[in-house]
Amino acid sequence: MTKGPSWRVVAVQESRDLWVSGRGPVLLFAYSVLLSVISYLAGTNQVLNFLEQREAVNLTLQVAVTVGVLVTLLVSADAVSGERERGTLESLLLTPMSRRGILVGKLTAALSLWGAAFLVGIPYLWVLGRGVELVGKALVLGVAVGTVLAVALAAFGLLVSAVSNSNKASLAVSFLVLLALFAPAQLPPMPTSWIGDAITRVNPLGSATTYLSAVLVKGHDWTRDLSYLISPVVALLVAGGLLVAVGPRFVRLIGGVNGS
Amino acid sequence: MVGALEVEGLTKVFGRRVAVDGLSFTARPGEVVGLLGPNGAGKTTTIRLLSTVLKPTDGRFAVAGVESTEPARIRRRVGVLPESSGYPGYVTGTDYLVYHARLFGVERRAAAELAGKLIAGVDLAERAGSRISTYSRGMRQRLGVARAMVNDPDVVLLDEPTLGLDPAGQRQMLGIVRRIAGERGATVVLSTHMLHEVEQVCSRVLILDGGKVVVSGTVDEVTRAVAVQRSGRLRVPPGLVERAREVLDDVSGVSCEVTRERPDVITVRVAGAGDTNTALAAVLAARVPVLAFEVDGARLDDAFLALTRGEPR
Repeated sequence: MTKGPSWRVVAVQESRDLWVSGRGPVLLFAYSVLLSVISYLAGTNQVLNFLEQREAVNLTLQVAVTVGVLVTLLVSADAVSGERERGTLESLLLTPMSRRGILVGKLTAALSLWGAAFLVGIPYLWVLGRGVELVGKALVLGVAVGTVLAVALAAFGLLVSAVSNSNKASLAVSFLVLLALFAPAQLPPMPTSWIGDAITRVNPLGSATTYLSAVLVKGHDWTRDLSYLISPVVALLVAGGLLVAVGPRFVRLIGGVNGS
Repeated sequence: MVGALEVEGLTKVFGRRVAVDGLSFTARPGEVVGLLGPNGAGKTTTIRLLSTVLKPTDGRFAVAGVESTEPARIRRRVGVLPESSGYPGYVTGTDYLVYHARLFGVERRAAAELAGKLIAGVDLAERAGSRISTYSRGMRQRLGVARAMVNDPDVVLLDEPTLGLDPAGQRQMLGIVRRIAGERGATVVLSTHMLHEVEQVCSRVLILDGGKVVVSGTVDEVTRAVAVQRSGRLRVPPGLVERAREVLDDVSGVSCEVTRERPDVITVRVAGAGDTNTALAAVLAARVPVLAFEVDGARLDDAFLALTRGEPR
């Protein structure tokens, strides 16, 4: 026993679990198929190909960010409740690793999926945006905004997973929350009003994609619409803060708010 | 602090249900303590309390002098095989042990060496590089015991380690338990339903019922204190069965019967413990050869049943 265990040990093992056990590659494959279809349609379809290249890049980036965040959320929503149900959590709780260290390790592993998803998206954006100088900007904005969203939602998913009585409940709640965030972005554009704007700004996913569109399609300077990033950053701070401050007390053998 | 494990008034309440009620005992280094009890007696809850996975509602315990108020330090000194432990199927036995050693702060290279030793110690060296998904139940249990040893614990808590194992697997596991206590000098708390296991390996027994210790002591002490001899089966040569019955009928406090299924076996019922000896002496005095005499109510399982199912004591 030379030193205390580090959360990195959990992160490495959890990442290995994700990628070697097959879940990560399967999710990434499904994600790349979706991106391929979107990119193909954006580049060739007669209905969609009137899109300017910058709009095609924006559309693909939004799909990449949204779906990348979705798969990250799903993995994190399984992280504690899934282990509880598979009977592997108890052996982890029997070690000196702190509950907070366990959560941070699992969060890091879940984010490896987001990182991989974004890397997979780069060639699509590169091909769609060839000849347009905004590809570099799209990649930088995508990784920055997407990472904020991914960390926020992964932290949220982990919290739900820790608190949930069952893995099904955890996955269902996380998926429903993501749908609730995703659905408003699919509604027809609302007439310009303070209510429509407020709904967009309150929704971390909606406001983030609005920000990306403003910069990539409308050509705004990246600093002009930063206010749209308030809700993603607030979501990150709240979910991350709750995960670090409150999450550890729910990492236990029995799920639920009253578990002991 | 005298014992490797000291438990005082340990209590756990779930809602209105008292799962463990004022449990107290002490165990010395190298001692194997059997934790017996019917389903719901509180055995698994006790193991989980001692391993700090659950917080006690009341009471205290100490492992090698470390108080239960310091759960992280306690976890460094206990090794645990949980009752229904799950294993990641895609990793090898060695990798699994390396990971757990790393969780205890062991450096990577030292962890690999330790894993090799531990996996050999539970007779899994040949399958060390195989994925756990290919392991049998017995192999997984032994791997779990190896995992419980990665931190060289002072106290090892084994919850139903032979559950679901075939007789050979049970024997192998009990051999490992003996080695843990005998060679390593660790205190072992063995929770089990298998009473013959307790008789074989445990130096002391605690029988739990309804979360309380109903009796504790050595196997002999518990058996003698609780299991009053009430009946026995006497086997004599077939031609002398009637003679033996006549002799026994004349002994005060003794009654007997012979069943059709086993005409050479006389079931002898006695009023008190000493009457068994009197009955046997009378048969021998009448020059009836005794081929076998097996006393009921003198084994640990009789004590267990008497204490946990309300049988007359």
